[in-house]
Formats: sequence, structure tokens, C-alpha cells
Amino acid sequence: MKKYIKLLTVLLAISAMLNSCKKDFLKETVYSKFTPTALKDSLAFEAGIVGLQYTYSLWNNQNENQNGNQGFLCVWQMGTDVAYNKAIDDLDPMSIPYTNYEKLTSRDVSIDFVWRWCYLLINNANNVVTNLDQPGLTLSTGFKNRVKGQALFYRGLAYNYLATLFGGVPIITAPLTAPKTDFVRASLDDVNKLIVDDLTFAKENAPTVDNLSVPSAPHKAMASQLLAEVYLRTGKNAEAEAEANAVINSGFFSLVKNRYGVHVNQPGDAFADMFIFGNQRRNQGNTEAIWVQETENPASVPNGAGPDIDSKFPGYHFTGSQHRRVWGSRYYNTPGMIIGDSLGGRGISRMALTYFVLNLYDKNDMRNSQYNLRRKYYYNDPSNALYGKLVTGPGIDTNRNIVPKTNKWDQFDPNDEFGSSMIKDMIIMRLGETYLLKAEAQFKQGNTAGAAASINILRDRAHAPQVNSGQITMDFILDERIRELVAEENRRMTLMRTKTLVDRVKNRGQKITGLTDKYLLLPIPQSEIDLNKDAQLTQNPGY
Amino acid sequence: MLFLFITSGYKANAQNHLISGRVIDSLTLQGVSGATIKIKNTTKGTVANPDGSFKIEVSAGAVLEISAVNYHPLQVKANLSAPMQILMGSINKTLADVVVVGYGTAKRSDVTGSVSSVPKARLSEIPAANVLQAMEGTVAGVNITSGTNAPGTSPSIVVRGINTITGSSDPLIVIDGTPFQSLSLNDINTNDIASIDILKDVSATAIYGTRGANGVLLITTKHGKAGKALISFSSYAGPEYFAHKVHPMGPAEYVQKYADYKLEAGVNNSFPVPNQYEQENYATGKTTDWLKEISQQGFIQDHNLSISGGGKDVKYFVSGDFFREKGLLKGFQNKRGSIRSNIDATLASFLTVGANLYMTLNNSDGGRVNLQQAMQMSPYGRFKDPDGNYTIFPMSGDLAFQSPMLGLTTTRNDRRENFITNVYAEVKPLEGLKYRVNASYNYLPTLFQYYQGRLAGDITNGSASVSNSERNNWVVENILTYEKNWNKHHIDFTGLYSAQQNREYSSNINASGFINDALQFNALQGASTFSASSSYIKTTMVSQMARINYSYDSRYLITATARRDGYSAFGGNTNKYGTFPSVAVAWNMSNESFMKKAEFVESLKLRGSYGLSGNQSAVIPNSTITTFSTTSIPSNGKPTTGIVADILGNGDLKWESTYGANVGVDFSLFKGRVSGTIEGYKTTTKNLVLYRQLPAATGYLNIVSNVGKVGNKGIEVTLRTQNIVSGDFRWETNFNFAANNNKILDLYGDKKDDLGNRLFIGKPIYVIYDYKQVGVWKVGEDPSKQDPGAIPGDLKFADLDHNGSITSDGKDQTVLGQSTPKWTGGVTSAWHYKNFHLSVFVQTVQGVTKYNQLTNFVDYGGRQNVVSGLGYWTPTNQSDVRPSINYVNYLTYGYPQKASFTRIKDATFSYTMPNSLADKLKLSALTLYITGRNLATFTNWFGWDPEANYAATGDSSGNYPLVRTFIIGANITLK
Repeated sequence: MKKYIKLLTVLLAISAMLNSCKKDFLKETVYSKFTPTALKDSLAFEAGIVGLQYTYSLWNNQNENQNGNQGFLCVWQMGTDVAYNKAIDDLDPMSIPYTNYEKLTSRDVSIDFVWRWCYLLINNANNVVTNLDQPGLTLSTGFKNRVKGQALFYRGLAYNYLATLFGGVPIITAPLTAPKTDFVRASLDDVNKLIVDDLTFAKENAPTVDNLSVPSAPHKAMASQLLAEVYLRTGKNAEAEAEANAVINSGFFSLVKNRYGVHVNQPGDAFADMFIFGNQRRNQGNTEAIWVQETENPASVPNGAGPDIDSKFPGYHFTGSQHRRVWGSRYYNTPGMIIGDSLGGRGISRMALTYFVLNLYDKNDMRNSQYNLRRKYYYNDPSNALYGKLVTGPGIDTNRNIVPKTNKWDQFDPNDEFGSSMIKDMIIMRLGETYLLKAEAQFKQGNTAGAAASINILRDRAHAPQVNSGQITMDFILDERIRELVAEENRRMTLMRTKTLVDRVKNRGQKITGLTDKYLLLPIPQSEIDLNKDAQLTQNPGY
Repeated sequence: MLFLFITSGYKANAQNHLISGRVIDSLTLQGVSGATIKIKNTTKGTVANPDGSFKIEVSAGAVLEISAVNYHPLQVKANLSAPMQILMGSINKTLADVVVVGYGTAKRSDVTGSVSSVPKARLSEIPAANVLQAMEGTVAGVNITSGTNAPGTSPSIVVRGINTITGSSDPLIVIDGTPFQSLSLNDINTNDIASIDILKDVSATAIYGTRGANGVLLITTKHGKAGKALISFSSYAGPEYFAHKVHPMGPAEYVQKYADYKLEAGVNNSFPVPNQYEQENYATGKTTDWLKEISQQGFIQDHNLSISGGGKDVKYFVSGDFFREKGLLKGFQNKRGSIRSNIDATLASFLTVGANLYMTLNNSDGGRVNLQQAMQMSPYGRFKDPDGNYTIFPMSGDLAFQSPMLGLTTTRNDRRENFITNVYAEVKPLEGLKYRVNASYNYLPTLFQYYQGRLAGDITNGSASVSNSERNNWVVENILTYEKNWNKHHIDFTGLYSAQQNREYSSNINASGFINDALQFNALQGASTFSASSSYIKTTMVSQMARINYSYDSRYLITATARRDGYSAFGGNTNKYGTFPSVAVAWNMSNESFMKKAEFVESLKLRGSYGLSGNQSAVIPNSTITTFSTTSIPSNGKPTTGIVADILGNGDLKWESTYGANVGVDFSLFKGRVSGTIEGYKTTTKNLVLYRQLPAATGYLNIVSNVGKVGNKGIEVTLRTQNIVSGDFRWETNFNFAANNNKILDLYGDKKDDLGNRLFIGKPIYVIYDYKQVGVWKVGEDPSKQDPGAIPGDLKFADLDHNGSITSDGKDQTVLGQSTPKWTGGVTSAWHYKNFHLSVFVQTVQGVTKYNQLTNFVDYGGRQNVVSGLGYWTPTNQSDVRPSINYVNYLTYGYPQKASFTRIKDATFSYTMPNSLADKLKLSALTLYITGRNLATFTNWFGWDPEANYAATGDSSGNYPLVRTFIIGANITLK
């Protein structure tokens, strides 16, 4: 009998154990990330817009790609009329196919980045827009439309990058819940229509620039400015002019014509003041700024100069954008020269301005002043006998070291002479460009006088000679864009948008080989074509 | 039933005496299950219980005849007055060994699956800091690789080839029946280990279900035995040296390199060395041997004390251990202290309880020098500044290369603790029936603290980082076993129900901007900038398992098992459960009567099995749910939080399934002079979890999916021979060989290669895929057609697709080799003369190709030092192999090289004191030994070591030289 009691005890113990495990013992809970249902209140949607700003910033903050190459910014300037590589030692592999065009293939790494970056923006925008429609939200229609407008700004922006660079592309307007591998290219017209719809909704519903909780968030003027560019690309010139006017006449922006800001008591000029860190934001006095991506010293603000890594771009690094390095020179390699503030910190001469650009300015044009475009270097090592003297003479390396350079990306941190980070805001849109977009729209409508007037507003500020309507051509407008916007605008995209790339580099570009009309569109990334296994993504002609 | 009938049949006879006793193995002291006890000259007899116990009625003066399979039969006189203890000697030690098979043990002769044991001599006689070090090269089909020798690191282990791409290929480790949860196998004190058994084939591993596919390591720790207290002390210590040194260029070579660089790059300056600091030192002829500066004399030591013993009812084993290794490179060290207490108590005849408690403290503190940076430094670089501090940038004006010494100015604490408590109760309510409950709780805290200040070149006025993590795991297992013998039949059943929960919380704080470097990470409130992160993951698991063993006459054996596992991380659309059946059969052919004539055959067993096991490790918790993560941008001088889409979840995700077949033969010939095992296996892993890349247009990078398929097949041979057995002299060898063929059968369901991830159908998982170098472009040759970017001095590659040019679209690259070995082998040869023993172990690893990062000649345009002895192309001395110094590796060629090697892994000479002498010294036993490890390596590899994962760019913790060690040790057992 005792045996059976023991046996029974065991059986009871086991059955108790079996029962004690509830059914939801195996239920999985995510504790450290958000699930879509956790994003329902206004703060979550505001954070969604910040997330879009973050994703956008990856383009500018790219430090190096998965191969350790750092020339992404060169891709958009070299092989055009503005920049070229002088010394092969400083040439970055990423930029080679964009100057020796015969090497540009569908496996190019830069197009992979661009394509993914655009669709990340699109997916994040789609997530915000779709989540706004989920039932049970207690948000006002006004708030919803404001957020939706801001999200659609980024979606329109991303599709505009795609349309400009690739032509017609797959259209996705809602987030995916399952994998998809049967994308097909929509027509360029359909993509353009979507862009115009998105940006129109944005300009109507996004807040005004004086009504932003996060300064770099999308506002009406940003949407209008971008819309002006889209209309120019699609040949709707009157609409483009109207959008430029909407920005100009909004009352929020005015050209910087007087000295201001942190260096106001040092030698300089008004144009240069805009590009000094501490002066670049609207609340720092930059009345011309429409859209500024802010940067902070990562030593004092986490992620202040980028996030370092991003899971969507394995192997890439995003702390320490390369602007200063690619545009700056290696002057400090010359004996008697040391890295310093006055010379703009540590550059590495990846590219140099073309002779065409260096000869493009009138003598007194402020944009050509020593504060904006450095042509002369003076020995700056106090221990050197030549201290204070002009660097010149034979034996000076003018390929890498003593090279004329734009000062727009000068930056120096005495704690970081090497310049691991670039602590400088990035002016993405400013009123100066608005006048150029307006001039282009006016010119395209035959209004050369209006175009001259628009351009003269800029030249007036720059103390450059005025122009008359007879001087206005597309080339002149593109030249003026250089004078005003060199090292700021994405030159390649401007020339692709205006379909002038091939003509413009003739007699202007340097060291360029293999450029033909086919490069007015970039190839669809081969990996995208391969991964899209259930439908054909047709390649652009010639690739 | 028969048993009851026999005993009851004799109860009537009043003249008889009921006697009891136990038949036990003379070596293992385990009961001999199923031994037959017969009264001589009668037909009366009985069969022993599973624990060897028996009762039988005998008349006075009776003689018992005891027999059992694999034991020498014997006769003993029945003892009427006291319980008898009958020791049986096994015919073949190996076959009578008890092996742990998971949720129980089995006699080697009864095992149906593929179970290998680590030779006990490797565990008891070779000093090893890490259990895998002790195992390396000794078990066929178990491939252990030491990627780095840095103190405190653990080698990697793969059993029978890699069958996963995303998941871990580490085997499941079970210690004393409980799954071992750890961050490192270094947590185990090898002195505590009694035995290691490895389940290799799918039928054996299937009882561990979703965690069995990579094989299972079953570790049994030492337990006390009844008797007088046994006090053992063992201690070893010895110096460490570089097994092999790779030198950076010396001063003259470096200067020549810069001159050659300038000539080729067209750089026109009059400097003999590139930068200002170098030029200063060059002028005064001051040089620094950076490799010497970062090195120090290494030293390793271990001290272990154990006390074991017990009475009839309570047995104990208590041990304490202290291990310390001072590395070869400055700042590298590891300390480990551990305490174990294993207690077993018999509370009643039917009830045993016990507790195994284990604690280990692991410390790898220390700011460390950097080997890779030392290799980059110019010999003319400045070592220290006038103020006595290490120069931050020894090659300043170039500010890209920091001094390798800077780590010594940092404070770095790296600590890990592991507390394992395991209690059990075992009830035997009925004859042959046993119920056991195991409850285990495991607490694993880690701490990492780091501070780098101004002396380390920190540009943020000092930065500190503190990381804490805490894992809490519990497991409860209910195990029911039933065993029965009748006539020649044996059957046993094991049933399991278990539940498990793992929780892991970790947090990290980074702070920077301190007024000075005094307080470091001890007062983070003194910093001006902070960032923090944390994460929490919880997983749960529920399992049921049943196993039946049946054997007839120890000739025919069959094992059938099934396990069902539920795991929380499997996709929400699945039922979260997987079922894993297996079956194995074996035939002890030597027990057949027709084999009796073949006298040279002592034992011969054929085995075959088929089964299914799983790998859940590829399913990362929270990967099946679509999620958003946070990020931040600066706004108005402050960080502002944003949300971005993170992963696209796959609710259908489940475990990887490995189907495997195994055939084997175990044999022992010529009275055990030759014994061994030959096995062949073939496995196919389906539902391989892969991060299937998605078109970027989806807005996601990839989705984790069960898509791939991998096959492994291989052969394993283990051979033990006693070559000479003559009086005082013996010579034994233990030989093992394993070849594995690993093949990807499918990836994403479309039979297409994945070029991006270097995965190719029909090829092994880890391949070397690269251009085929055929030479170097010579002066006068025109590379422009074939390789438009190339100039003389650049590497010349084969135009594999014959389209006239070298392209980066993958068509000029090919699979050049595999980075996992094609075959491995090991030979241990042991010579014994009287009390002196010499054992030499040689291992070989063949058919490996690896990228040789060290030969990827990157001097960044004449800016850094490179390895000496490689050479480079110059116009006047045109190499066929090495490129010019100015070569720009546009195609990112990886410089693959054969990494096969043969190594005299260790040699041990030991002296065991004879009992007579030990007695005089009042000792029970004394062994003195000297061991040398990594004595010689034969390889064509250029670099630190073919096994090492050395990275030439970027700091890698793997950058540590192979260590040669000489150890003197003593094992003392007190009387």
C-alpha cells in the first residue's frame, strides 16, 4: 500500500506541474521596441516626424560606406562642371565612376545608398500616414493633417530624388506587412503626379516656419521651394514661379545683407557670416535660412553629429560628415603650416574646384572674397621662419596642399584637430536659391527681364555687377547657381534635372571621361533588380 | 514477473537463508544491471535489479555463479550473515564505461547512437584553463578552434560541420543534467569535471529537441564517494611566450619603404621618413621597437583544492579553484575564482536529494595595448612626450594613427559572475521506477567599466562607459524513469516534462566631459554629457520528451525517442511547438554464438540511427514582430527623440530542422589491443533561418525567414591501440580522424546563389570567394585592356569569364577554398615506463583557406608601417606575387591563403610516485608533471597563426599572438 501512496504522490506532483503552466507561458512580449499599436498619441506622431528628419540626415552625415570609402559627397560634385580630383592619392573609389563614367555600372555602391535612403523615407512616411488612420485615435483633424503634411513632404522629397536620378520608379504609398518582391516601375508621369500631390498637401497643411516645435521639421515654405524645383523639372514653369513667390512673399525670409553673429567683430562679410557655425540657424540671425539641419558637438550632445551606425545601412558610419574633408585642402602638409581655425580645420583635398569655377566670379563679387573662397595661404606656424608670409614658390604641392577652396565648410574644434566629427549645421534650403529657382522659371517662360531682376537681387547682395535681360541664358542661370550655391547645391542633380549635364561639362569639367546622354539617368541598382524576383524592374537604357 | 516467480518459488523451503547483495562494476562502482546470479549445480537463479542489487534464497555453503554481458564471470561463496558486495571486472574497460546520454546514463555497450567521450586522461593530466582547450583535437568530429589566445577568451566549437548560417553553431552544453547558461565556457573549472560525453548523431541529440542540432556536450562534475575524506591539491604554473612572432619593418626597412613609395607615387620631397615627429627621431637616430614595448613576460597559474567523501547516506564534493593568467601583451590578464559544492543525501531507502552549487568570478580587467596599432607604428615614431606621457600621435603631423600604448592609460574593468544552484530530489516508489525533479536557478551578472582620459587622447575631456547586465534563468525538469529486466529482455523508459524561463536586462551609460581624469567612471555625475540605453528580453520554453530503450540479450538494442519543444520566440502565427522523433538500433554482434569462434574479436557492435533535431538559436527573440525603434537628432542644442521603422517581423518563423542518419561500428580486437569506432553520417538541415534580403523598395533591409537548406556528410574514425605491452613498458596511441563535407543545398527557395553574402549553392557555408591572382603587372605590359584601372605593380587577376576585362560584378571571382577544414586529425602517443609517462599530442587541420589580412598591404600612401618579410614589387625588382607599395586595392582583393597546419599541440612528461614511496610521505598519491603547449607548428601560412582571427585594420580583440606555454604542476592527494 505504501508503494501506491508514493506512486500517487509522484503522479500528483507531475500533474500539478503540468497544470501550473498556463497557456500564455509561451506568449512573446516585446519590451524594448515599439510595436505599431504602441504609437497612438500625439507625441508618438511628432516623434515619427523626427524619425523622418533623422533618416533624411543620413545622406548628409554619411562618413563612410561599408567598404570604408568616404567619397559619397564627391559623387554629386565631381564629373560635373564644378569639381574634380587633383591628386590621385586623395581620390576616393566611390567617386571614380562619376568622373570616369565608363566605369559607372548598376553595381555602383552610391546608387544603392540613394535608392535605399529614398525608400526608407517613403516607408517611414507611409507608416506615419497609415498609423494616423488607425481607429481609436483621439487626435484632432488639424493635428492629423499637420503631421500628415510633414510626413508627405518627406515622401514627396524622396520620390523627387528618385524621379530626378532614375526616372519612373515603383510607387509604394502604404507600409508593408509582408515581404514583397514584385515591384514594377511606374511611369515618370505617375511618380511626378504623386510628388506634386504630396507636396501640395504638405504646403497646405504643414505648419509655417514660425510654428515649429523642432526647428528643422518640414514647414510650408520647404514644401513650396521643393515644389518649385519639381515644377521646373516637369516643365510647369508658371507653377514653379508661383511656388518660389510663395516663399519669397511669405514674409518669413529675407536675404542676409549685413554682418551679424558670432564673428561680427572679426574681418569678414555678410555672405560668409551665414556659413559660420553659431550663425547658421534662423534663431541665430540667419534670416535667409529656410531649412537647416542642425549639428552639435557629440562631446556635448549624444548623436549630435550623427548616429554613427544605422541598422538599415550595415557597415556604414554616420558620425562626422565629410563636407570639410572633401572640400578642404591638405595645407597642413606643407612645412610651416599647421591645422588651424583660420584655414578651416583639416581637409583632405578629395576634390578641388574646377578652373571654370575659379574664373567664374567678377572681381568684387562678395562670394569670391577671401572669406568665402580661399585662394591664398599664409604660413601659420609661429615657430616657422616664414610665419605670416604668403605660401608660394616652386616646391609647393599645389595638387594636394595649397589648393583654392570654398570656405563654406570650414570647421575647427581645438579639441579635435583631426576632425573626427564635423560640427557644423547644414543649410539645405535658403532664400538665395529661391531667387534662382524663380529666375529659372521666369526664363523658361520667356521673361528674361524678370529673370535678370531676380538674379540681380542676389548680385546686389553680393556687390556684383548687375545683369540685364540680354545676358540671361540657361547657362548663365546655371553659372549663377555656382556663384551662389557652389558646395551647397547637389550639382549633379541640378544638371540632371535640367538635362544639361553633358553640355555643361564640355570645356568646363576636368579629367572627365566617357560621359554620354545615358548618364542623365542613373542605373537602377542591380541588387534591386535581382532581389525583385517575381517581377521585372526594367533597367534604364544603356546600362 | 519472472523475478517474482523465482523468488516466491523458494520461500517455502525453511532450510534456506534469504541473502541479499549487490553486483557492482569493479572500476566504476556502479551497479551491474541485469547480472545473472545462479546457484552452482542447481537451476535456481535470479537477475539483478538495475542498480545491481539482488536477493536470493540459498542453502548453507552454496556457491553463486555471477555472469553479465561484457564482464568476466565469477564464482563466490554465499555469505549468509551479511549483505554481499560482488565486484565484477569488465572485459573491456571502454565498453563497460558508463556514458551520459542525456536525462540518464547508459553502458557504452548499450549505446545505440553516436556518443563520444573525451579521453579522461586529457581532463585529468593536461592543465587547461578552458574545457575546450582540453578537448581540442581529441574527439573525432568535434572541431575546436582558438581564434585568439587572449586571456579569458574561449575557443569556438563545431560538432560535425556547420548546419546553420544565422544561428549559433555552438553545441548545447549540459552540466550535471541542467542546460548550462553562460556567456563563456571559461566559467567552468576544468578541475571539477569528471567526464565529458558528446552526443553527435541526430538520434542522440533529438532528445534535446530545438536545441540539439549542433550536438550536445554533457559534462559531469565530480561527486563524493563513500569513504574517508579525500583531500586533493593540484597546482600548476609556468611562463608564456610568443609561439611565433611577426615583426613590423625595422628602421632601415621602413626608410627604404618610404623611399620606394615616394619614387612610385611621384612624391617629391627630401624627407627620409614622412612626418615631423619621425623626422625628429630620424635626425637623432632614435628608434622604438613597438612590438617589444607592448609585450611582457606572460605567466599562467592555477591552484585547486578539493575535498570529497561521505558516509552511507551523505556524500560530498567541495572544491575551490584560483586561476590567473598574465598575458603576453601589456594589460591583458584573466583571473578566475570558483567554488563548487556537490552534496547528495539519501534520506530514505526510496528518497535521495542533492544540491550542486557553483559560483565563479571572472575578471579580465585592464587597459590594454593594441597589437594592430603597434604593427602600424613607424620605428621612428615618438614614444613619449617630454612630460613623460605616451605620445598620442607618435607619427604627428599625421593624426590618423594613435599610439598602441594609450590603452595602458585607460581604466578598464571587465567582470562576469556566474551562480548556479541546482537541487534535485529522486524518489524510487516502486522497483525500477524513479521520479526525479531538478530545479535550477542561474544568476549571471556582468559589469564593464571603461574610462579614457586626456592621456589616452580623448577629445571630449574624458569619456566613461559603464555597462551592466543581469540574466536570471530558471529550469524545472520532471523526469520519470522505469526500468525492467526479465529473462533476456531489458526495457527502460524515460519521460520528461520541463519548463524554463530566461530573462536578460542590460543597461549602458556613456558619459563624457570631466573636469579632470581623477574620478573616472566612479562619479559619472561629474560629466557634462550623458547617453544611456537599456534592453530587456524574456524567453520561455516548455518541453516534453519520451524515450524507450529495449534490448534483447544485450544483442539487439533499439532506442526510440520523441521530444516536443515550445519556445516563446517562435512566430506568433505558429503554435510555437516543434516535435522531434528519432530511432536508433544496434546489434552487439560479438554476443552472438556464431562469433564465439572468432576469438580475436572481443566485441563488435553495429549501429544505425535516423532522427530529427532542431536549432532554435537562429530565431532571435522579438524578430517575428514588426517593430519601431527610437533614434535622436540634435535640435536647439538638445537631443530630440524620433521613431523609425525597425524590422519587418515574420510571424511564421520557426526552428531549423536537421534530419540525420548515422551508421557506425564499435570494435575491440585482440584482447583490447586494438579498439575503436568508425562512423559515417549524413544530415540535411531544412527551414534554415536566413535574413532574406528584400528589395530596398520595401523600406526594409531584410526579413528573417525559414528558407535555406544545408547538408553535411562525413566520416569519423577513432582508433585506440596498445602497441607495446611488455612488463614495465607500455606504448599506447589514440588516433582520431574526421572529414566533413558541408554544402549549401538551397538558400532562398530559388536555388540561386547569394553573391552579396558569399553563399553559393553546392559550396560550403564559409567559402573564400575572390579574384584569382595570376601575377603582378610588369613594366612594359599593357593592363589597360584587361584591367583599365591597373598600372604596372598592380595585382594581375585571371579573367575568369573571358570577356576581356576584370569586372566587379562577380563574374571574375570564384570560390577559392573553404574556411572550415576539410579534415582534421589528432594523434596522442603515450609511453609509460614504470612510474614515468610521456604523452605527446599532435593535431592537424587540413583543407582550410582564409583571408590573410596581414598580407593586405595597406600603408595608406606611405603613411604607416607594415609587416616585415613580405616584400613588395618595385620596377627594378618585379615580384610575381606581391603588388607595389603604392597599390590601390580597388577590387578589395582579400589575399586568401592556405591556412592548413599541423601542430605539436602539447607534450607532457609526468612522474607518478609509487605507493610505497607515497606511503612514507604520508600521501595517498602524488603526480608531478611538466607540460609544453603549442610547441611547434608546421604551416605555409604567413602571419601570427593560421588559427588566429587577426584583423589588419580596425582594432579587434582577436589580435593576440598564439601563446607557447611551459607548465610545471603537481597533483597531491592526502591520505
